[in-house]
Amino acid sequence: MEIFITGSGTISSIGNNVAESIKSLRDQQTGIKLGAFQALPNYRVGAVPFSNAELMEKFNLTTEGSRTALLGMIAAKEAFAGHSIDPTIRTGLISGTSVGGMDMSEKEYKNFLEGTNHNPLNYRHHASGTSSEEISNELKISDFINTISTACSSAANALMMGARMIQQGMLDRVVVGGTDGLSSFTISGFKSLMIFDDEWCRPFDESRKGLNLGEGAGFLVLESEKSLVISKQTPLAKLTGWSNASDAFHQTASSPNGYGATLSMQEALNVAGLQPSDIDYINAHGTATPNNDLSESHAIKSIFKDNIPPFSSTKAYTGHTLAASGGIEAVFAIEAIRQGLLYPNLNFSTPIEETGLTPQLKFESGKTIKHVLSNSFGFGGNNSTVILSAL
Amino acid sequence: MYYIHAIASISHQDSFRNSNVYKSLTPLSDDSDVISPDFKEFIPPAALRRLSPVLRMGLAASIECRNQVATDFDAIVVGTALGCLKDTEKFLSTFLTSTSDFLSPTAFIQSTHNTIGGQISLGLNNHAYNMTHTQNNLSFEVSLMDAILCLNDGKKNVLIGAADEKIDFLATVQPDLIPNEFPLSSGASFFALSPAKSEIAIQAVSTNFNATNLLEDIGTFLDVHDISMEEIDLLLHSNDDIEAHFSPKEAINYLDFTGFHYSASSYAVHVAHDFLKYRHMAKYALVVNDLCPGKVGITLITRDEA
Amino acid sequence: MSDFKETLKSQIIEQLNLEDLTPGDIQDDAPLFGEGLGLDSIDALEFIVLLEQNYGIKIADPNEGKEIFQSVNSLAAYIQKNQ
Repeated sequence: MEIFITGSGTISSIGNNVAESIKSLRDQQTGIKLGAFQALPNYRVGAVPFSNAELMEKFNLTTEGSRTALLGMIAAKEAFAGHSIDPTIRTGLISGTSVGGMDMSEKEYKNFLEGTNHNPLNYRHHASGTSSEEISNELKISDFINTISTACSSAANALMMGARMIQQGMLDRVVVGGTDGLSSFTISGFKSLMIFDDEWCRPFDESRKGLNLGEGAGFLVLESEKSLVISKQTPLAKLTGWSNASDAFHQTASSPNGYGATLSMQEALNVAGLQPSDIDYINAHGTATPNNDLSESHAIKSIFKDNIPPFSSTKAYTGHTLAASGGIEAVFAIEAIRQGLLYPNLNFSTPIEETGLTPQLKFESGKTIKHVLSNSFGFGGNNSTVILSAL
Repeated sequence: MYYIHAIASISHQDSFRNSNVYKSLTPLSDDSDVISPDFKEFIPPAALRRLSPVLRMGLAASIECRNQVATDFDAIVVGTALGCLKDTEKFLSTFLTSTSDFLSPTAFIQSTHNTIGGQISLGLNNHAYNMTHTQNNLSFEVSLMDAILCLNDGKKNVLIGAADEKIDFLATVQPDLIPNEFPLSSGASFFALSPAKSEIAIQAVSTNFNATNLLEDIGTFLDVHDISMEEIDLLLHSNDDIEAHFSPKEAINYLDFTGFHYSASSYAVHVAHDFLKYRHMAKYALVVNDLCPGKVGITLITRDEA
Repeated sequence: MSDFKETLKSQIIEQLNLEDLTPGDIQDDAPLFGEGLGLDSIDALEFIVLLEQNYGIKIADPNEGKEIFQSVNSLAAYIQKNQ
């Protein structure tokens, strides 16, 4: 059964919607800035430049929620625009998040530690599942709600779960993607791992030192053919391949040879019924940590051998948006297919000595892009790949 | 039918390696705690030293299931409502109070929800599909749905379970956010499911995220599966109104035995399995989970005589 | 020197949560990583925290740790040189 994509939406530091984001990619304009997260100003991060209150007002949101939920509502609403709730179309929402309502919980827990004005009610947005319920509420979707939390592969896994539920007839239409708001918790966490780059992050470059964090959300609408007949939506692209595999190497580090990533890419190709040579562009996970990019390079070489298609990481534009990244990058993949685009990998000068791969370095349009493979890898060795295809 | 081939639970009951947890159900006291196995039997010291209670419980229960079925899992699905609370709280305290340039990373690393699933993949050296679902009180039920998707996709040996842990801090928020008088608790229940026949099976699971009438929902679920409440041999619920309305043959409020945590319905499924296994005339058990208002999960467990 | 190493071992046990070990279980010259105590990259970061908290020594690049954290002997020598 074919899975049609009939909507897409995103918000991140490079744009409030799909069009603005693609323009930033075209202009090679990063959204990462020093001091963009006010509570911890010494870091380069890709922040959406609005407070929670400003987000609600600017984007006409009616449901209150954590930053993760608000960003998710904005991207999911863009994706769902033009759609309507119809009792004959069973509609679900599956969102990936890693921090949920942490931006609010961490402020309240500080009050608790300091023994002043502690109000437990302010933890009501904490649970990751609650952020998805809030997004669903804003979109009036209630047939099914689910949250996937597999760290940085969460959104890719949400796409996969949605596709499988449609295939097996459990849903007709499903809004899928991921969202994560910046929080002191995650910034401090990656600081403790000592994998920040104080400069701009440099995916796939020999001199890369680490990542820059970001925030945002990316959502798609998936529909069955039966649903399309009722909704009368025009598909943008298809979701044809998906997979998740475990690296089972280490809680945080990727295996040096990228075993789990290789398994994941191969299985996604199998699900799509494609050969490696069918892939026209790879949106790599490419966080710019020494470990990820080396491991992913080996995995890409294992699958694609000597015929590696153009590939790039868009993390140097958005920052690493954690659970949202697979959703945001799926939105980029759809536009790559529709507009024939290849996105350049910023800040690259020297290939990794051990693997020698050079990513796509200039923006190109007018290409024929039929199939895009997009990788998302998370803590716990959680490796996911999705493949998006032209109609 | 999705057949149960192994179960392991670590809970406030004496449940681990207990062949009939239904028979030994004991109401919890207010100071009740988890009855843990010796984790060193399952987890090497180098790994164990870092693992919080929810990770220990989830990993040991999974390894026990793996030992019972003696086959590698081809999918691993974990549900958790609040995830690794102890490490989350520890890292919150660390960064909110530290002025140092260097922060201890271990609690942060172990704070993500899928640390449970990741540790299971590491502990079992398993490269298969590995998913973590978190949906408040329905975390177990949506995980069970994913496991069923896996089995329908052709997987043969799926590990599915749910785990949640209590931390002392939860008592601080309970009056505002958990309108419930059961003692807070922890627990992990894991199941090995397969299409290969065994005595007891999960027949169906459903979720309703917009439940306005719980009793009607249960009626609809039973209608869909062509069963009447009179045929349900044991009803396991979290709301005494259900029992009063339906007057089933036997009923228990499982919170009396699990205490309150959002994955408690997974233990109710374990109880249901053991009840059916040892009560040979019994055919159906129904687990109803409405721990969060408006969000209802229903699971039907069946003895398969065919 | 040996008192200092005993203290260091106790600090390692605490920082790394090596709950089953006593200082006597850790040999001065045995490798801490890999085959030795079975420590990994996360422990290397915990060592960096230990050095800063207990000795005020800051290691900005985790790669520098590889040689310093080879054994209790190498760690002790590094602390004494840099304190």
